[in-house]
Amino acid sequence: MRDRRRRPVSTTAAWTLRIGLFVFCAFPLYWMLVSSFKVSHELLASPPTFWPHEWELRAYRKLFYETNFWVYFQNTIVVSAITTVIVLLAGVIGAYSLTRYAFRGRTLVARLTLLAYMFPPIIMLVPLFLVARQFGLTNSLLGLALTYISFALPYALWILRAFFQSIPVELEHAALIDGANRAQALAYVVMPLALPGIIATAIFTFIVAWNDFLFALVLIGKDDLKTLAIGINEFFHMAVVDWGLIMAAGVMVTIPALVFFIAVQRYLIAGWGAGGLKG
Amino acid sequence: MGLLLPSAALILAFTLFPVGYNLWLGFFAKHSLRLTATWVGLGNYTQILADPDFWRSAWLATVYAVGSTALQIVVGVAGALILHQRFAGCDFLRGVALFPYMIPTVIAVFVWRWLMNDLYGVIPYVLSTLSIPGMPEAWLTHTTIMWVLIILSVWTFFPFVLVNVLARLQTIAPELYDAARVDGASAVRQFFHITLPQLRNVLLIVLLLRGIWMFTKFDVPWLLGFGGGAGEAIRTLPVFTYQRSFTYYQAGMGAALSNVMLALLLMAVTIYFVAFPPAEDETDA
Repeated sequence: MRDRRRRPVSTTAAWTLRIGLFVFCAFPLYWMLVSSFKVSHELLASPPTFWPHEWELRAYRKLFYETNFWVYFQNTIVVSAITTVIVLLAGVIGAYSLTRYAFRGRTLVARLTLLAYMFPPIIMLVPLFLVARQFGLTNSLLGLALTYISFALPYALWILRAFFQSIPVELEHAALIDGANRAQALAYVVMPLALPGIIATAIFTFIVAWNDFLFALVLIGKDDLKTLAIGINEFFHMAVVDWGLIMAAGVMVTIPALVFFIAVQRYLIAGWGAGGLKG
Repeated sequence: MGLLLPSAALILAFTLFPVGYNLWLGFFAKHSLRLTATWVGLGNYTQILADPDFWRSAWLATVYAVGSTALQIVVGVAGALILHQRFAGCDFLRGVALFPYMIPTVIAVFVWRWLMNDLYGVIPYVLSTLSIPGMPEAWLTHTTIMWVLIILSVWTFFPFVLVNVLARLQTIAPELYDAARVDGASAVRQFFHITLPQLRNVLLIVLLLRGIWMFTKFDVPWLLGFGGGAGEAIRTLPVFTYQRSFTYYQAGMGAALSNVMLALLLMAVTIYFVAFPPAEDETDA
């Protein structure tokens, strides 16, 4: 696509806009970073210092040694991983059959999938809570992961469907004529081609679980089962709000996301084009 | 179809069943933590319609959804146009521009609470140095917190618009612009006569999705508002629903409120699909 784009533009107006966009996106993150390293009196100084005079690791030490941060971190990874695995397994199989088999009501199923993709989680709050209580799945990481499936799966199906649609069915027919069975055609012909889409879907699903606040809030009460979202929220309920600590927690959650994001950016953009991320 | 079974079963169990259960629950008065429930028919709904707090929260959710969606689209389209050009560091800026969307909501909201803090916030400080008449000194107050909510939501969610628009921009045939340039059309005219019509479909779907998701957004207003009296001024319908269900433990009422949101959502989707029928390949394959 690059060669088709117009020649580089470098007017003052264009650069002003680019820098404006950069500052708008990056400044809050920069501020989080420097705030996490400031000493207490500088953190609350007026006027604020844009580059700290003194740096210290107090907030990070407090985060690691005086809070349950690592427990929250592990719980979040466990829940996100369970959700991603189940959604991917069911999603790949489901999306494949949605695009490859003709059956009555296929259009209806596709439309319901779209509707479910739009579905805001808040609408399922009360029933999922009551059902989870009924089955003893409150205060359970598995219970939490199961609720994430309810809104991650429809949109995984939606994105994967778009990817499978873009793979010509003739390729599979060719494999079938050459003597492969359905499963082999799926494994050796379709899956390698759909891999970018599957990776994108895995990332989106992981992020849905990683970011959720609402269901963790109502389903998890025990501190050692809390995820990052509700664990960090607890820092706000301390007698004196420690902004340095909250910013340090923010940095610690953001760094892995940043590294991960840079590593997979290529796939993310592919997936976004196909159906988008929910949130 | 055998292959569809696992996902069909999961969707049935985790999406359709909760929705059905929710419709049923809406007819009961039920404590969130107890097993007993009393049939009240349409009682919850008549109570909702007579409750000024409900109307207020519906109004606030509308203000929030309209304001933040409109600004997300403006900023998202502008950002996409900026990133569609070629310049040194455009790949880097693309990454930076997507990043707000990747940050967990809790972090995004807390960073903005800190940026806008009434006593120590850096943004109120910078604004105060500009000495603009009528500029508020504190932002997390009843009269201004809605603005903070909207701006922070735009920051967090505009990349969704940006990515979808950018993907579409890259598929517009350059010949269209060549022809316009030959005819002497200005950049502004090119935008309104070529770019915008080409973006129409993607903007409509983005508008629908973002509008629905902003109207039903719980975590952002909740996390921005709690622990401060000004939370009252951003108690949108989802926050109101949460409070009915888990602060007052009125599960039946909470379910009924969710059903009201569901009805609004279905109405929006229906109007959308009647006004803009989907192309065959979008839903039928």
